[in-house]
Amino acid sequence: MAIRVIVRLTPAKPKAGEEFRLQAVAQHPNEPGTRRDERGNLIPAKYINLVEVYFEGEKVAEARPGPSTSANPLYGFKFKADKPGTFTVKLKDTDGDTGEATVKLELA
Amino acid sequence: MNRRAFLKATGVALGAAALSGIPVRAQGLEGEDQANLEKALKEALGKGFKDLTPSNLVKLTMPAIAESGANVPAEVEVNLPSAQVKAIHLFADKNPTPRLASFMPMKALPYYATRVRLAETSAIRAVVETADGKLLLASASTRVTVGGCG
Repeated sequence: MAIRVIVRLTPAKPKAGEEFRLQAVAQHPNEPGTRRDERGNLIPAKYINLVEVYFEGEKVAEARPGPSTSANPLYGFKFKADKPGTFTVKLKDTDGDTGEATVKLELA
Repeated sequence: MNRRAFLKATGVALGAAALSGIPVRAQGLEGEDQANLEKALKEALGKGFKDLTPSNLVKLTMPAIAESGANVPAEVEVNLPSAQVKAIHLFADKNPTPRLASFMPMKALPYYATRVRLAETSAIRAVVETADGKLLLASASTRVTVGGCG
């Protein structure tokens, strides 16, 4: 199942040379594999373990979150605005499910 | 203790914790577990705690108190040029899996924010791998009321 992802930039339209944040929020339970359901059975681990950020097709950042990331996780990055373009955030979880979202960087 | 005195005392204590709590020294943190951390450091970096150098170039921002361990915001910022930062790792001493996340800033600035689960009150470590092979450390501690891993 595809993971739903939302990506946004703050400020939405940075000036050239200015720092801005890129935040991605995914809809994912991120089960760490240590929690039990109401009948005492362990819930199997299923968490996002790879976050990649691409800018115009080039990989610009990579994070490898562990099992102890919260449900519906947030990933925040900072970049310096240089030229306009498109950011793509790609997620992958331990079951091989993937999610992807894009956001356009426009300069003010 | 009556209610008024209790509220006053806890209020003062909380205020003091909030004022003094953010840049904590590596020693004497609440919720330390060196053995568990050591194991995770070996696994992730092949190095032990004694190889880490506490540095004020690394800024780790954690809340002093988290009501629920299931969703604790964590933020690391490194005061170095991006090219000098190879990776940023986050660890929580008391978690069953202490390594929280690793981040490789390639073209990004050395900044990473996420939300993590904490099993219980724990010391949090940000370990920064620099390009010249040094390991910088910043520590913080978060008090957790309800755990997020169990």
